[in-house]
Formats: sequence, C-alpha cells, structure tokens
Amino acid sequence: MRGAKSAKWVAIAAVVALGATACGGGGDDSSSGGGKGNGVVSVEIGEPQNSLVPTNTYETEGGQVINALFTGLTKLDADNKVVNAMAESIESKDNKVWTIKLKSGYTFHNGEKVTAQSFADAWNYGANQTNAQQTNPLFSHIAGYADLNPGEGKKPTTDKMSGLKVVDDSTLQVTLSGAFSAFPSQLSFTAFVPLPTAFFKDPKAFGEAPIGNGPFKMSGTFKHNESISVVKYDKSPEASKIEVKGVNFKVYSNLDTAYKDLVAGNLDTLLTIPNSGLPTYHKDLPGHYMDTADSGVGYIGFPIKYNKAFQNADLRKAISMSIDRATISSKIFLGARTPADDYISPIIDGYRKGACGEACTYNPSAAKELYTKSGGLPGNTLEIGYNADGDHKAWIEAVANQIQQSLGIKVTAKPFEQFQTILNDLDAKKYQGAFRMAWSMDYPDMENYLRPIFSKEAIANGSNYSGYTNEDFEKFLVQGDQAPTHEEAIKKYQAADDVLLKDMPYIPVYFYTLNTGFSDKIKSLKIAGHQILWDTVKLS
Amino acid sequence: MSEKTIERPTTDEAAIAKEIEAEEKAAARQASLLRDGWADLRKRPMFIVTSLIILVLLALAIAPSLFTARSPFSDGFCQLQNSMTGPSSGHLFGYDVQGCDIYTRTVYGTRNSIVVGVVTTTATTLIGGLVGMLAGLIGGWADALLSRITEVFAGLPLIIGGLLIMSIWGGGDVWSVSFIMAILGWPQVYRIMRGEVIANKYNDYVTAARALGAGSWRIAFRHILPNTLAPVIVITTMNLGVYISAEAALSYLGIGIQYPNISWGVMISDAQDRFLTSPHALMFPAGALSITVLAFIMLGDVVRDAFDPKMR
Repeated sequence: MRGAKSAKWVAIAAVVALGATACGGGGDDSSSGGGKGNGVVSVEIGEPQNSLVPTNTYETEGGQVINALFTGLTKLDADNKVVNAMAESIESKDNKVWTIKLKSGYTFHNGEKVTAQSFADAWNYGANQTNAQQTNPLFSHIAGYADLNPGEGKKPTTDKMSGLKVVDDSTLQVTLSGAFSAFPSQLSFTAFVPLPTAFFKDPKAFGEAPIGNGPFKMSGTFKHNESISVVKYDKSPEASKIEVKGVNFKVYSNLDTAYKDLVAGNLDTLLTIPNSGLPTYHKDLPGHYMDTADSGVGYIGFPIKYNKAFQNADLRKAISMSIDRATISSKIFLGARTPADDYISPIIDGYRKGACGEACTYNPSAAKELYTKSGGLPGNTLEIGYNADGDHKAWIEAVANQIQQSLGIKVTAKPFEQFQTILNDLDAKKYQGAFRMAWSMDYPDMENYLRPIFSKEAIANGSNYSGYTNEDFEKFLVQGDQAPTHEEAIKKYQAADDVLLKDMPYIPVYFYTLNTGFSDKIKSLKIAGHQILWDTVKLS
Repeated sequence: MSEKTIERPTTDEAAIAKEIEAEEKAAARQASLLRDGWADLRKRPMFIVTSLIILVLLALAIAPSLFTARSPFSDGFCQLQNSMTGPSSGHLFGYDVQGCDIYTRTVYGTRNSIVVGVVTTTATTLIGGLVGMLAGLIGGWADALLSRITEVFAGLPLIIGGLLIMSIWGGGDVWSVSFIMAILGWPQVYRIMRGEVIANKYNDYVTAARALGAGSWRIAFRHILPNTLAPVIVITTMNLGVYISAEAALSYLGIGIQYPNISWGVMISDAQDRFLTSPHALMFPAGALSITVLAFIMLGDVVRDAFDPKMR
C-alpha cells in the first residue's frame, strides 16, 4: 500500500501525553541500581512506532534498537563520516553500478551466515509495495523499484528488483536507475541491513524478537511500553571492540521522568535531556553530559498544496522574518538549539552558513511590509499546530507571540495529542493551519535534507507534508545525483537548496543540539546520527 | 431534631384551622433554621476573613483591569527577552518563560478560575439536586434506575474522566471545562439530596401534610426541600474550591483551559520546568490558587458548622 507515509520525528517519543507516569521507570531488574558491575547499561527510548522490522522502522526510537541488533554495509563514525561496516569495499565507476564486497565472519544470531543474498532479500522485501514498509521510498534509487511499486490497487508482477544481482556469497552488485553519488552514505541507514531467512517465514514474530547480525542479540522479546533487552552476541566480529555486555532499552513516555531517573541513577543514558533539565544538567550531572551538534532541523510547515492562503512565497517569508530565532534559542532552549540559517544541518558537507539570508533574519518592520504586500492571510489569523507530547509548547507559543507582534495578526497555537495525529490530519487534508515539523537525517548527505521532504515523489511516498513542488528543484536534485564527484554533487544540491530558500515551503527555525546525559556507570561515549556508537562506550 | 418531633398528626376533624397553622409554623421553623445559621455565621471571625478574601477574588474576577494597568491580550505584552526575569519594581511577580508579566496574568487568571468554580457548582447543584429529589420522592423503580445511571457517572473519577473526555473531544475554554466537570460532578450532590429526601419523606410532618391532602409539589417544595437544603449548601460551598483546583489540575495536564486563555493551572505547568532555577514563575500562580481554594473550603467549613444541626 502506497501512501503509508514515513513519519520522522526527532528525539520525541510518540506516546500519549496522558500516560505521564505509566512507564517502566523505577524498579527494573536487570540494569538499575545495584548492577553497576554487570556491564549492562540502560538507555532511554520512546515506544517504537512499529514492531522492530528494520525496513519498517523510520523513526529514531526503534532505530536505536535496530542499530544495536544489526550491522549494515556502512555506518557513521564519531565525526558523522560514512565508513564501511559489513562492507569490505563499495566501488563504482559511474555512480550507477556499485559493486559491494562483504566482510566474512558475520552470522545472524541464529547461526545463519550473512551473505549477499541476505541483503538482496531484505531490500526486495522493503521495496515491495505489498509489504507496505515505512522505508519503502528509500529503495527508490535501485533499478527495478518501479516494478515493485506499480501504484495503489495494482499488484507488482515480480518480487525482485532487477538492479540487485548476487554475484556470489560475498559480492552484491547493485544497479541504480540513475547515477546517485550518495548511495554508500544512504546504505548506513538502518533500513539497509540484511535479514535472515527466518524473517520471511514469520515477519510478525520477527518484529517482536528480531534476529540480527549485529553486536547485540535480543534477550527475550519486545515488551511493549516497557523495555527491550539485548545482550552481547559474542560471535559477532565487532564484539571484541565493545565493552558493554548488554543494553536495556527502557521505554519512557515522558522525557522528564527519564531525566529524573537518570539523575537518580535508575537510568544510564538519556540521549536528549528535556527542556526541564536544561537549566540544571551541568550541575545535576557533573562530568556526565555531552553536547553534540545533531542532524536535526526544526521547521514551521504549511499545507501549501491544499490551503490556498499559504501559497504566496512572500507571505511565508514574512512569517519567517517575524520570528526572532536567536532569542528563542537562548531563552526557550537555553542554548540547546541554534538559529537555523539553511535547510541543511551544519554537520553536513554542503551546509552554508547564512544561506537563508534576510529571509531567516528577524526584522519585524520588513516582515510586516512584506506581509501586507503579499495580501496577507484570510481574517488575519494563523494557527500553528504542534504535538503536545514533545517539548514543543514553549517554543511554538513563543513563535506565535512573535508573529502576532511582528505582523499584528492573531496567532494561536493548537496542541495535538501526538505527532502522528497532525500527520494523519495533514494526509487527510483536514488540517488547514501551519504546523511544527522536524527532520533528522537518515544518512549524512545533503540529498537527504532535500528529496525526502520537498520532492514531488515524497508527497505520495515520503515526508513532503507541505505538498510543495518545483520543477527546478527536481532538476537540480537529479543533476546532483548524477554528478561524478562529491564536490560537484554538493554544488548541484546547493542549487536545489537555493530554490527552496527562495520558495520557503517550510520555515527553518532551529538546528538541534544533542544534550546527552549518562550515569556514573559510563566513562564516555560518542553519538552519531542520533545513535549511540556502541564501540565507543567506555564503562567506568 | 426537636422541631421535627413536636408535630403530631391529629384526627380531630374540627381542628383543621389549627392544622394549617401548625403546618405553617413548621415551615417557618425550617426557614428559621437557615436564619439561625446565618445569625451564627455572622459572628464567626473565620467567616468574615474568608468572605473578605472571596470578595477581593470576585472583584479581581469581575474587573481585573482595576488591579493592573497592563492587559495580557495587548500587543507586546510578552517580550521573550524578559523570559524568566525575577520580580522587580513595576513587575512584582517577575516574568514567565514567554516573557509575560506574571502579576497581570495571575490577576486575569482569577476570572477563569472563579467562573469555572461557580458555573460547575451551580450546574452540579441543579442537576444533582433535581435528579436526587426526583429519585428520593418517586422511589421504587425510578429511584433504582436513576441511581444506576448516576453510578455510571460516579464511577469515573473526576480527573480520569476529565482526561478521557477532553482528550477525545478537546476542550480549551472555560465552558467546556465546566461542562465536563459538571457532568462528572453531579452524582455527589445527587446522593446527598436523595439521601436527605428519603430521610425526610417519612417524617411525621410529611405524613401529616399528606393526610391533610397537600399535593405532591407542595410537600416536595414546602416541606421536604427546606429540610434538605442545609447539607447541600455546605457541600456546594466546599465544592467551589474543589472544582477550582480540579480545573487547575486539568489545565496543568494540558487538557483544561488552553492557550491563549489564561489559567493558573497552565501557568504552573509552564513554569515547572524551570522551577529549580526560577521558582517565582511557579510560586505566584500556585499561591493564588492555594489562597482561592483555601478560602472556599474554609467558607464551606464554617457554613457547615453553622448550619448542621448535629454540630450544635
């Protein structure tokens, strides 16, 4: 089924706001309290959106578990650079036909050998529309993707992509439908991991207790809304580099609760310290916190496609110019965000400081002038929707206040229970107002900040919730895909970025900083792409 | 209970005039129960203190602009640069996260709290009182049916029921919050009313009135209702405070009154994140809430002391 859109949310557990206390905090057996010496650490996650099938996991919470259980072909290192993981080499002469050689020695947790076929089968499953996998659009570069996705109501005639060729057990040849320079980078995303034959026999059971090829294996099954426990898989070639003996992913519905547990010593790692902890975390966790630039970008979006009121680019720019990003970053987020000045995150090659120029610079009088010139909004009112289960109320209200004051119009903030509720209402074309939106990367490449959010194909098949389309933008994207070198690709993607900056389908508001806290049990750790790099975790 | 046992039914047909006189006397005595209570009440210092506080709160609710020169709905009222600045001269309560003056917001928040309290209490008293009286008077199958229906509503605790209903239907203003609390709150008044009616309806003076041919309406309103009023008044006064704090609780949880409407519960909720570094943003609305709730509950307390015959 197409149209099963991917929902990415940054650092936010998509759980009902009501259940503030109904979480697995407190007396947990395996990791809390006295178990300091057992080498098991606990990690906060939100309840994963779906069961733990890699090709159906397109959000950061389940992604963290998949990352521990599976090893893909490439991965991110601590500098957000793509390096080989299970791939021995990935080579291509034309960015179109890629030859991937696998490292030997990897087995699935049930003993099955990981071969090129395991990758091909997994990707064919993920790309097939009959399986309705969330990450389906990520496979669209591979030749033959269209055959597996003939459209809603039609049945694919084959279940294999013609672009995937298993040469031998350790060699996979991938032909893309066009040149795509960021392909190795894309392979670092958790959707591209291999799957064992056991998965295809019973995908449902697999989702509750996945069998991966990573350094950790499941211990028991996925206890929904409670926890997921994994222990080290000693047969993994990576096992020797990992100090941690096991990980207990504790599901929290409320980051404030998680933070309190962290300070009290009942939780070992909290990737994102919530707003409530920001004023005090330096004091609460002396020497046990870490601030890293994160890949996330926060936006205000508009349903351009079906609400005519928002179709004027000058109007959107006027709204953008009436937001004082610097004050919001310092006063609301206490420095945990930085003002956004591009659609691309600063950790990505190709980001240009100040690219957005005056359109992202606070200037109330110019904003008002532009607003009047653009014809304004009907009734001079604006509504901004946000999900109340994340830490969004304060900044959305601040944005609402600022727009109201700068433009002299009435602006209200509308809470939705969950992020998914907004997305569903947008899908159903029910919600007419502006909305909060955020993106964190799947793989560290400029392309990932452009195509999945603003391209035409992402309307039906990705996260283009504004319904924005622009032919020039599409053209530059394709040129970037085909560019022979990384540098030239960046130039083309920047041209696409410039089109966005001119049209401003979303308003970039801030870049995320990850404020991570960890307990006394951990000496140090590193994070990349919103995931803990387990080989960098040192226990004290 | 002496006033109830004084009356004796009589079989003397010639003394009808006397009967009527006795009946009216009984009614006068009931009224004087309220009058006695009032006389007692006026002498209590606690009553005077709580009344004064409530008068001030009412003044705040009716005309907030008399107490502050600023309006929380004016442009430029909130300046983010002032976020979490502490109390200063001119801004006695300091600023909140959004850089809004807390004193002004606290003053303007009074109205919503009081309105929710009054509206909810009135609604619960009317619904609960009426249905309770019907159940008590008619008895039998009607009583059984009404009581079961009531139990459905009573089975839902106020906060959980409120969470449930408002997360489904959404809320956001004073009226929706009052409506939901009234729906969930009336069984309490119902039970008291029904109990009182049943306790009173077999009393001798009711039998007497009936024997004299008084109609059901007359018996209900002239004889039974005055005797049941005192406990209902007591519970009503106390409930005012309870509903005000329940509104704050629902708003605190994000499902009661919502931005841009001002509510102390929302102010407390917004301020809790920074409590350790800037306690003032939480203390002032929380203080206002405590004083208000305390005033109504203490008023309920003295009213009970004055009106409940058992307490004398």
